[in-house]
Amino acid sequence: MLNEFFKNLKLTRRWKNLLGICLAAVMLLAAGGSFVFAQKKYELNFNTLFHGGDAQAMVRIVEKFNKENPQVKIDLVQGQWEDYYAKLYITVAAGEPPHIGITHTTYIPSMAPAMTPLEKSRAGNLLDIAGIKGEDYVEDLWKAGVYEGTRYVVPLDTHMWALWYNKDLFKEAGLDPNSPPNTGKELEEAASKIKAIGKYAIHPADIGKPRHFRRAWYILFWQQGGELFDKDFAKATFNNDKGLRALEYLVNVFQKWGWNKPGTNGNAQFVAGRLGMLWVGNWFYWTAERSGVNYATAPMPQIFDKRVTWGNSHNMVIPKQPLKVSDNVIVTAIKTIKWISENSDIWGIYGGHAPAYKPVLEGKKLGESKTWKKSLSVLSDMALEGALHYPIIHPQAKQLEHSIQVYVEEAVNGIISPQEALDKAEEEVNEILGS
Amino acid sequence: MLKTGLFFGKRGHRSQIEGLLFILPYAFLWGFFLIWPLAYGFFISLHKWDPLRGSKFIGLANYVKLFRSPIFWNAFFNTFEFAGIAVPLIIILGLVFALLMQRMSIRGGRFIEASLFFPYLLTVSIVSLVWKWLFDPDVGLVLYYSSRLGLHLPTFLADKFWALPAIAFATAWWLAGYRMVIFKAAMGDIPPELYESAELDGAGGYKKFRHITLPLLRPAILFALILTTISGFRVFGQVIMMTAGGPGRSSEVLALYLYRRGFDYLQMGLAAAVGFILFVIILIITVISFRFLGFESRL
Repeated sequence: MLNEFFKNLKLTRRWKNLLGICLAAVMLLAAGGSFVFAQKKYELNFNTLFHGGDAQAMVRIVEKFNKENPQVKIDLVQGQWEDYYAKLYITVAAGEPPHIGITHTTYIPSMAPAMTPLEKSRAGNLLDIAGIKGEDYVEDLWKAGVYEGTRYVVPLDTHMWALWYNKDLFKEAGLDPNSPPNTGKELEEAASKIKAIGKYAIHPADIGKPRHFRRAWYILFWQQGGELFDKDFAKATFNNDKGLRALEYLVNVFQKWGWNKPGTNGNAQFVAGRLGMLWVGNWFYWTAERSGVNYATAPMPQIFDKRVTWGNSHNMVIPKQPLKVSDNVIVTAIKTIKWISENSDIWGIYGGHAPAYKPVLEGKKLGESKTWKKSLSVLSDMALEGALHYPIIHPQAKQLEHSIQVYVEEAVNGIISPQEALDKAEEEVNEILGS
Repeated sequence: MLKTGLFFGKRGHRSQIEGLLFILPYAFLWGFFLIWPLAYGFFISLHKWDPLRGSKFIGLANYVKLFRSPIFWNAFFNTFEFAGIAVPLIIILGLVFALLMQRMSIRGGRFIEASLFFPYLLTVSIVSLVWKWLFDPDVGLVLYYSSRLGLHLPTFLADKFWALPAIAFATAWWLAGYRMVIFKAAMGDIPPELYESAELDGAGGYKKFRHITLPLLRPAILFALILTTISGFRVFGQVIMMTAGGPGRSSEVLALYLYRRGFDYLQMGLAAAVGFILFVIILIITVISFRFLGFESRL
């Protein structure tokens, strides 16, 4: 029949040859195309809020992933912490979210509508599909990833504040550089001696932004057994003797004892070798390493009744994907998250965070690393001791925290008294909780 | 047919249509990028808006909440304080620079002019970071050299009283150069015969400036004033980078207040209401400026 058809077309020899070549080309393309489709390359957008030393650690992880997984390419975008959550929320609303994101444990309630429920996604139970098991993660961190009965996150790490101190300045001040202060009394003694040699004694608030003063106050408050809110978040419970004692201590560092000056940047002072002691998180590790300062890390001193430090956790999430994103992409994203967990020794070694994935946390590679010996072991000990305290976990966490920190900052800068700061903060947070 | 003849026959109608066609592209852009976002923004402000959790119409409740909020009024007055310092400073500095450049015929005058204009080429983040470091109490040049001269200046950005003026000063450094260019260009259009006649009549420098330069610069001043007022009321980048609205809320301006409500607390409806209020404020000030200054240059 086909022969009859072509006979009737009365094609010249030239046209017949051309038709044959075209048919052959189409068949080859189809075969090649099906080969390409069978080997489809997925491109995943991974947005993070990392911007310091830990950002470069994530770059290493992604580079390794892209090298070892030719079928998937991660396109990594990293940025500032402050507006990250707003961007993530808006991109989900706009239908253009990244495939993988990061969420702090404390922001799970507020970000929940923007995240894919991992056990009930449209692609199925993603944890089962990727083989992600809760028992492979640090228990507290795994448990904290559930909000209102739904799991949204896979924990990446925990991080917390510790005491970083300049061993050379300790020596110069006549202190034992291998014996950092462990109690409030020892801290005060060390601070006085460092101040006497003309250096800044201590900066208890990282780079000195309002949220860092708030964290420092939290630490001093929690160390007395205080809690910020009642169980149901009906009202604030920090405007009391404990809250006042904590804030007065913090204010005195800058206003009365002269251990530092308002408006300063603790990290900059430390890397310049002008600061004896700094309260900052484990992500400071690579900055400290590159600074050339002879430093060491120590547990947060127990200034009041018990050792407590501020901490949080990073978690990996899959933002809610629009329907145009196929289930295969979502499955690829969760498998990528699992891969990152399994390779989070890089996160620990180069980012300075304590990985949440137990095989890595307890593994030899991390345990023998310089990062572990210099800082992570300290954090791990504090976590095991039960010293880690999460801040506010509530859908309005950011607004509540902001309402506290503006007054803490004013008190630290000597603009209002500590009592006035607590009164104003209490009034404002109670109004937010009541609205 | 008669109607058609009238429509295309009369020159007036035809030129009207031509005129309309000429402005149509701009009108489309204006409508799409200004009117539509404004209208939609107002629509959002009438809701408790959450694109993911679901939105609810609440009428003017967001506006009532704002007008009852002391934090909103704090941002409102901070914005006026900032604009009240920055706008005159930018205009006056721009005018002074323009006058100096016009009169200077020394070697290197062009280089000086370029140096005064250069800050305008920088982005807001660079300007903010540079001045944040200049004002730093530890390593900042401002406090270091002032202390060497025996001056005990406040830690500007950590001082409740000085934070906004410090930001206004940095802003003036950034923008005055561009205003200088506007004024210098306008001064170039003033006929030199007017100054010669005034000199012949015995007018000195001040009288020439007061009675010739200033009146003939009216349109340029109005243009610069409107431009600068809008930037003044919309200030955001410098504030968030230099002080984050602190210490406390002493430098929190309306744009930052809007940003926090919308993007930190995800209260989009409330943020849209702040945006609409800001629009109304700027519109009123612009209309008043037009009314009092006018666009005519006249002696």
